[in-house]
Amino acid sequence: MIQIEGLTKRFGKMEALKGITFEVEKGSVFGFVGPNGAGKSTTMSILATLMAPTSGKAYVGGYDVTKDPKKIRKQIGYMPDFFGVYDNLKAEEYLNFYASTYGISQAERMKIIPQLLELVNLSHKKDSYVDTLSRGMKQRLGLARSLVHNPEVLLLDEPASGLDPRARIELREILKELRSMGKTIIISSHILPELAELSDVIGIIEEGQMVTIGNVDQIYRQLQGHKQLKIAVLDREHELIQHLKAKTYIQGVYQENGYILADYLGQDEEQIKLLQELVQANFPILTFSEVEGNLEQIFLEITRGVGS
Amino acid sequence: MNLVQRFINPMLSKEFRLRMRSKKTPWAISLYLMVLGGIIFTFIYLYNNNQAYFDPQRSREIFMMLSIFQFAMVSFVTPGLTAGTISGERERQTLNILLTTNLSPSKIIVGKWLSSLSFMTFLVIASIPLYSIVFLYGGISPSQLIKVFGFYIISMLAIGGLGILFSTLFKRTGVATVVTYAAIIGYTIGTYIIATIIQDITQISSMSKTTATYWMQILYSINPFTAILSIFDEGPVVALNYYMGGVSSRGPQLPLEPYWMFISFFSVITLISILLAIYFIKPVKKKLLRRK
Repeated sequence: MIQIEGLTKRFGKMEALKGITFEVEKGSVFGFVGPNGAGKSTTMSILATLMAPTSGKAYVGGYDVTKDPKKIRKQIGYMPDFFGVYDNLKAEEYLNFYASTYGISQAERMKIIPQLLELVNLSHKKDSYVDTLSRGMKQRLGLARSLVHNPEVLLLDEPASGLDPRARIELREILKELRSMGKTIIISSHILPELAELSDVIGIIEEGQMVTIGNVDQIYRQLQGHKQLKIAVLDREHELIQHLKAKTYIQGVYQENGYILADYLGQDEEQIKLLQELVQANFPILTFSEVEGNLEQIFLEITRGVGS
Repeated sequence: MNLVQRFINPMLSKEFRLRMRSKKTPWAISLYLMVLGGIIFTFIYLYNNNQAYFDPQRSREIFMMLSIFQFAMVSFVTPGLTAGTISGERERQTLNILLTTNLSPSKIIVGKWLSSLSFMTFLVIASIPLYSIVFLYGGISPSQLIKVFGFYIISMLAIGGLGILFSTLFKRTGVATVVTYAAIIGYTIGTYIIATIIQDITQISSMSKTTATYWMQILYSINPFTAILSIFDEGPVVALNYYMGGVSSRGPQLPLEPYWMFISFFSVITLISILLAIYFIKPVKKKLLRRK
């Protein structure tokens, strides 16, 4: 659905993009991760036909962004990292205006606007002025706005930035629903864990270069070669440590804050078997999970090389 | 989609709604009429003080005053209404979103331009009762009245066009507004001073008067203040009386009357400004001039 080939962008002497290449398949979610100023927004702007690349090619739905911007605009819903709203316009009128910019008839608009407001949980705010909405609500309204013409592709540039945890969760749920609707989504963030759950593929960019692309698991393994298991038991801790150390696919076992942490090198199937084994051995297991916080570390590991 | 909807510019209808919903709007209308009415009623009072009869000549002068003040107000208010339209969208961070919709750059520019000017037109129409009071005293022909309103409309379109152009070129509304005012004031004073200098030079030197006077007439014709005076058969361009239909033996004739010269020239300014604004708002521009 989206192809980017050797894309570069220069602003005077500064090279914002240094020949990035990637593809996003139809119906998949591509998480675009990188620190601030890495080139995420520049790539998004080029895909949104707001900027011409210095060199390279970018296609959306088979159309070249520089040659067929009008056709691309019909296919994309773009939500920039920062966007404003109009004072003195109600939420429903706001969507109505943007729907009219796509030539959607009044009758059609009257049908889709309540559905969109429902999708983003803002039905109760339809008569509220947009400038009175909270930041989270504005982001959700912005998302609804980008969907008014039912685009196949969504370009969401840091949609969760500046949101409180509750608003982030609400936004993530809406995005999951959009993914289930078959939309092709490129979503950017500077926080890897934020996109890990949502994305089929993650691309990590730094200083205008694509550092790595793959699904979260692949990236994890590529960098650390293992994942870390976090186990808590009511008692028999020492016995459990010995049990784990005996496994060939466990590299090291540590104790930290009442948890047992194990560096795990095996496959998912072996992980299932291990849990079954521990249960059968009657270990009083309270927790058995993968350590998620390591994603932050992965991100730092990956971006450290290029940045320095 | 019905025919009416097809021709409604979404930008225009949104702007109308926002403009008329703003709390500032009724205050702006009241202030405009109070300033214009205050000035003109003061003039009427001073002119007709202790007079027990109507003097059509004085009434004509009051009408001229009203027209010139109204033009000054139009020149003052229009940049304020138009110079922030595109830069305001940019400052509000809504322009990028607009540019990714199906609205073409021309629809965005024309919608913004007409919506801003419709408010100015609204102000001018709201001042008609003031005109009717002055018109009651006589001394003014209906054709002059129509010409004055035509003059306002074309001036608004051109000043608004410049405002939109600078609003597109400059990122900050403040800068765009100042540059628009500077351009209008510079143009008005500049054309008048150059025309006056040419007039003085032709009187004291032996340079070719034919060409010089021709340019002098053109400059006076396209100057808003001398052009508005020409509607009432006043001002330097009428005094020269060179235009077609006047005494032609004293020099080259202008192709049109000063009023129509002004209308034509300002129409061209309007067209160029709007076309340039449409070009410059495009996020990805094709080069205007290709190097060979």
